[in-house]
Amino acid sequence: MATTTATITLSSSDLLTDNLSLSTSTSLYKHGTASTGLDEMRMERLEIPIDDYGSGTAKQYDLIANSAALLNKPSWVYIANKNTNDTHYVEISIKDDLLGKLYSGDWMFIPWSCNLNAALGSAVEIQAKEATAVIEYALFHDGDTLTTAADS
Amino acid sequence: MATINATITLSSSDMMDNAVSITNTSTLTKAGNDTGLSETSGLARKKTSSGANTILLDTDSGIGSDATAGGANKVYIKNLNSRGDGTKYVTILLEDTEIGRLYGGDWLFMPWNATSSGKDIEFTASDTTETTLEYILFFE
Repeated sequence: MATTTATITLSSSDLLTDNLSLSTSTSLYKHGTASTGLDEMRMERLEIPIDDYGSGTAKQYDLIANSAALLNKPSWVYIANKNTNDTHYVEISIKDDLLGKLYSGDWMFIPWSCNLNAALGSAVEIQAKEATAVIEYALFHDGDTLTTAADS
Repeated sequence: MATINATITLSSSDMMDNAVSITNTSTLTKAGNDTGLSETSGLARKKTSSGANTILLDTDSGIGSDATAGGANKVYIKNLNSRGDGTKYVTILLEDTEIGRLYGGDWLFMPWNATSSGKDIEFTASDTTETTLEYILFFE
């Protein structure tokens, strides 16, 4: 097992009359335990093209695809938009449902439920808007299904 | 305008051979410019003992309806219950689409499109144990 800690701090000195100062941490555990941590992860830095690699057609991509081994297990997704232009953003969707937009510098951290139902689906999808987006993402999970090699 | 900073730290000293340490700070701005978000629900708390679907942020009423559809809105949610045996959780949904599960003590931070076509943020507790969530909506 591993111990992975996720901490968020939200702060502002001028949003409200008094300071906003919130900080909390959680440990990323497997289902059905309060002591066994998630022990697998992957992390990438990617360029998300605004179109299909020059074809001129805007395209949405699977950032994290469904996988049988992820089913009914806790997974956590971190995504950061590393662009620096204020107008650049990426749209993050859970299959067909647009969750929201990450503008340059924004990040998100969510639990994610894999769903293999073809109609419901659950892939975390991404689409760059305005320009190619440089993103970093990480998936903390409890098992993933590897793709079988075509020549195996 | 206001300056709101959101910082995340993801760390593990024993998941891999080398330590994992991810830190990122975002200053929450409006869509497409560097003007800071200046509106918020404040820190709010919601309790339920129902295992049924409950709307946390409604695009058609309350503070959720004040958020600009398509804006750079952000949502923080924390499950305040204790983790217990790790089998109880709250499912967070975008209307009828499951996003993921917050076990006791877990939190999330995500953008919210707040589309008026009913993309509310909802939650469902895994059983009828009283569940308490804390949340903040930052919006434009």
